[in-house]
Amino acid sequence: MAGAGAGPGGETLLRVRGLRMRFAGGTAALDGVDLSVGPGELVIVLGSNGSGKSTLLRCISRLLHPTGGEILVAGQNLSRLEGAALRRARQALGMIFQHGNLVRRRSVLANVVSGSLGRHPGIRTSLGLLPAGEVPAALGYLREVGLEHLAQRRASTLSGGQAQRVAIARALAQRPRLLLADEPVASLDPEAAEEIMRLLRRLAKEDGLGVLCVLHQPELAVRYADRIVGLQHGRVLFDQPAGELAEAPIDRLYEAKTQAQAA
Amino acid sequence: MSDETFTTLGTRERGLAAAAGFRSRPSLLQFLLLFAFGALVVQTLIVVEARPQDLITGVSGMADLLARATPPDWSRLPDALWPALETVDIAIFGTVFAVLLAAPLAILAAANVTPARPFYYLARGIIALTRAVPDLVWALLFVTAVGLGPFPGALALAVHSVGMLGRLFAEVVEDMDMGPVEALTTTGASRLQVFTHAVLPGVLPSLLGISLYRFDENLRSSLVLGFVGAGGIGFQLLTAMNLFQYRTVSLLLIIVFVLVMSAERISALLRARVA
Ligand SMILES: Nc1ncnc2c1ncn2[C@@H]1O[C@H](COP(=O)(O)OP(=O)(O)O)[C@@H](O)[C@H]1O
Ligand SMILES: [Mg+2]
Repeated sequence: MAGAGAGPGGETLLRVRGLRMRFAGGTAALDGVDLSVGPGELVIVLGSNGSGKSTLLRCISRLLHPTGGEILVAGQNLSRLEGAALRRARQALGMIFQHGNLVRRRSVLANVVSGSLGRHPGIRTSLGLLPAGEVPAALGYLREVGLEHLAQRRASTLSGGQAQRVAIARALAQRPRLLLADEPVASLDPEAAEEIMRLLRRLAKEDGLGVLCVLHQPELAVRYADRIVGLQHGRVLFDQPAGELAEAPIDRLYEAKTQAQAA
Repeated sequence: MSDETFTTLGTRERGLAAAAGFRSRPSLLQFLLLFAFGALVVQTLIVVEARPQDLITGVSGMADLLARATPPDWSRLPDALWPALETVDIAIFGTVFAVLLAAPLAILAAANVTPARPFYYLARGIIALTRAVPDLVWALLFVTAVGLGPFPGALALAVHSVGMLGRLFAEVVEDMDMGPVEALTTTGASRLQVFTHAVLPGVLPSLLGISLYRFDENLRSSLVLGFVGAGGIGFQLLTAMNLFQYRTVSLLLIIVFVLVMSAERISALLRARVA
């Protein structure tokens, strides 16, 4: 895939405004979050456990229904959409989870092709058949993540790092403009983690995708991010270019946590 | 009496060991539990009127029966083939229709996917009722309702199996990995596509395995159902016993043995393949 060549800045792909999420009977997990991601931009979200990172991503992909605020993806407000319109809008954003979330009994190729289901409504795909026409493209996405040689393998036989790359290929098969990744390297060894981060950065820089990635490791964030967003108690504590970020604000993110543990 | 094994320990260590659950003798509670269990077993001997001496005097009677049952009357084999087929088909019918009914019922009865609470309670109620009433009792009811023959037996197995399968199917759905479901949902796939491409591949092997095991159990049940007039080889067995045709009885028992063993092997082989 030749890159769109779009650099950071210019038009925004994702703009989140005043996003609120209150779980039934609980406190506010998100308390007015604003952030944006442009094409070709890799934005990393840091925050301690329970700060609302997963809730943020799950609201944006509308696995959760936010209590308030706006989610603008390429100008369209996702927070108000339902049904077919929501499904169509979702195709623009691919989501990557901590454990890959592949269908374990299916082949790698079948898993990747299933990412394209949104573009292929109809009886055949509803009955569980896969659109054969998507195979060449799917092989291309597997090549892009370096796993074309594993196309025939059952997903259950992959290592954690391989599964995560297949999950990225599946997200690419939906031809998204934006990737959301929730701790995609949390269960990987350091080497595999670096590989995934390099891949996400390449997808941003070469293919012009916007990437919003939740991480647990500040040192990875500093090295790979264009911008780092610090989340605390469901609020944005800071939002700065990675190069300008000093250590102090990052330490402050985890401070409350450390104090709580010391007590 | 002192705690002998603890004598080498100081007071502090002894206290710690005791607090950590070390015991050098059974506690009073353990002793009482053991006594209660012993009493439980003894009362069963009284209630079932166990008479070991009858087993010994019964040996000659058994030997006599065995003599009259050998050799098996192979000339009756052709007559036994149709009832044998009936028995197998009762089990297949009961299993297949139970699976067809249990699958949608399990969706309603699984807490994580049920469309609404009233459906959940309704489905759980149907499952509890059909499960709690034994298949033999269902067979008696259906014999009364539709008359003698294999059909009431097949119905009885189907109804009882709906409950047995429905509960296990619902458990599979409740334990399902939601990861792939969420992943496909976020690609923009429709609900039906998510069901056929993420839910089904995840649960189908378990459902097939459970169904095959159920068939194996249903075959054994369908033999017994004949005793209450619900067709199959069990009915033949009952008739032969009542007519004191012990050589026919032994032939029928051989057929039963072959059927049960074959069903068990086939079911186990297929289960291994879908695992
Ligand atoms: N489904 C839910 N129901 C109720 N509370 C939830 C749910 N999911 C998350 N929360 C709560 O929302 C807060 C943020 O959680 P989460 O977004 O998972 O944090 P993070 O991903 O940053 O660790 C936590 O206090 C958590 O307990
Ligand atoms: Mg999380």
